[in-house]
Amino acid sequence: MQLEIRLFAGLKCNNPQLPSFGKDAFDLDVPTGTTVGELRKLLAINPDIRLLNMVNHHHEADDWVLQDNDRIGIFPPIGGG
Amino acid sequence: MDKILRIDMGAANGPKMTVEPVGEYAGLGGRALTSIVVAKEVPPLCHPLGAENKLVFAPGMLSGTAGAMTGRLSVGCKSPLTGTIKESNAGGQAAQVMARLGYAAMILEGNPAGDDLYKIYINKDGVKIEIDNSLKLLDNYPLVERLRQEYGDKVAYITIGSAGERKLLAASIACTDPQLRPTRHCGRGGVGAVMGVKCVKAIILDDAGMKMRPPVDPEKYRDANRKFVEGLRRHPVSGEALPAYGTNVLTNILNEAGGYPTYNFKQGQFSGSANLSGEAQAQLEVKRGGTATHGCHRGCVIQCSGIYNDKDGHYLTKQPEYETVWSHGGHCGIDDLDTVARLDFMDDNIGVDTIDMGVTIGVAMDAGIIPFGDREGAIRLMEEVGKGTPLGRILGCGAEITGKVFGVERVPVVKGQALPAYDPRAVQGIGVTYATSTQGADHTAGYAIATNILKVGGDVDPLKPEGQVELSRNLQIATAAIDSTGMCLFIAFAIMDQPETFQALLDMLNAFYGANMTADDVVELGKKVLSVERDFNKRAGFTAQHDRLPRYFYTEPVAPHNLTFNVKDEELDQVFNW
Repeated sequence: MQLEIRLFAGLKCNNPQLPSFGKDAFDLDVPTGTTVGELRKLLAINPDIRLLNMVNHHHEADDWVLQDNDRIGIFPPIGGG
Repeated sequence: MDKILRIDMGAANGPKMTVEPVGEYAGLGGRALTSIVVAKEVPPLCHPLGAENKLVFAPGMLSGTAGAMTGRLSVGCKSPLTGTIKESNAGGQAAQVMARLGYAAMILEGNPAGDDLYKIYINKDGVKIEIDNSLKLLDNYPLVERLRQEYGDKVAYITIGSAGERKLLAASIACTDPQLRPTRHCGRGGVGAVMGVKCVKAIILDDAGMKMRPPVDPEKYRDANRKFVEGLRRHPVSGEALPAYGTNVLTNILNEAGGYPTYNFKQGQFSGSANLSGEAQAQLEVKRGGTATHGCHRGCVIQCSGIYNDKDGHYLTKQPEYETVWSHGGHCGIDDLDTVARLDFMDDNIGVDTIDMGVTIGVAMDAGIIPFGDREGAIRLMEEVGKGTPLGRILGCGAEITGKVFGVERVPVVKGQALPAYDPRAVQGIGVTYATSTQGADHTAGYAIATNILKVGGDVDPLKPEGQVELSRNLQIATAAIDSTGMCLFIAFAIMDQPETFQALLDMLNAFYGANMTADDVVELGKKVLSVERDFNKRAGFTAQHDRLPRYFYTEPVAPHNLTFNVKDEELDQVFNW
């Protein structure tokens, strides 16, 4: 299934085996049933960083199962005012 | 900080000053001091531009010490914009210097009879108040340049631009940063108009010969400060995201969350948001020889500010904040950072609240004065404000007045103050703060975004009404306390998530004052400040009916979530029941 992926605030795809290596905005084809947590591992994002995941404008946890054509925005801890 | 400086600007033979012991206000600072003074000494039914109003400047409890993050100055009065009590605070150097000069507060009272303009110079030897009509209608940047020729570079300047002199309701009070740029503003509530009606153009603070304020227990203070700084550096928000990107890092997440108010709160996402993002801004700043990491006051370790140069590498403005990039950007359908930066410079120079000014321009767009997305048009409208033309005066008095003059139904204000950069229908917790805060629509007063969107200090679903009242209440209490310490509010991320960092802050307060405050005492301080403010507002005529959002937030859903504001009135009325 196709996902629209956006990585923010310095996060990038760290998996050199993916065509999106080094990018922060890309589409990706993943197996059906992939969860948010599995996507993160696939993108090889530093596992020590606490992440915020927004799937189709909703916060979702790592065990959320992604669907075809989902848009995922992933953020490290950020703040402002 | 054992003394209070009072200046009666309306005294018969010219401004009369008295210096008195701090007395009953001892131990208070920042917002606690300004609100308690205003509540005690200003008749709540007075006209805010009248002689009965007072303008209270107060550094925080820990300002002027060697502690980190202590540079916030609070300014309090009855607000000419909202009619409520007002506390508006800013960074910059003024708080540090005023505190080291020994003043817990400076209180401007009365209004002069004529139209002479005054500057007030304060150093270790005393206070000089002089007429200087050559400063009339100078905007903040040229004003500070002029004053530097007389007072030099080792002072802090507090000034108003032409907007304050014209008594525009969006007028701000500017404080200079360590590089003497007038870029840190007490923005909200028209406090600049009160300084203007009292005919004070500039306050120059010179602490030459003064020392850092000494703690009762210097070793404990140093130790607590070290732990506090370590905690700030360790937290990813204060230690990484804010120094790297500044507050505008929020553009992408609010847009992704569907809570980024666009085209005057018509939708929750903006197609141009990527062009306005903090990431894009930081990259551009560095490329042009500016910086994305800069502290607005000495002692800041978070360094969330920056320097924005133009395409030729010349200084244009300080790094625009998220609120500015939103109000002049997505709110107006403008997706160009250079335009936003230009408007930010104009806000700082003319001396107006960047939130109210941007929201007003968006309301003017909704009225058809210029189209949404019109970059040059937005700049032209700001130029009108700077010139004080009739249109400029209307716009400079904020969104509510502009909306009334031009027949706009959807005007995003509470108690006359414009909503900041978060749609309450998609972030219900901030809607509770907007509606109920004593300050009018205000985001910092109880920053529910932290927990609704950023998942700091817990997790409350932004799209549901459950949990929002408790969240807003707790944050409003905590913020009222932090606003009294002189600490920058951005310590909140670390102290909410890391108990040891909150303890370090308590230890700093206790080591400095030789006290034994507990977390409960901090809560009590926050509650006391809010109670005093609520009481003032009640006596000024405010009722529960004023603690509501504009009607259309209840009736018009906003995409992409297609929700209205769902927290019930009866629940809003519980925020201050503790």
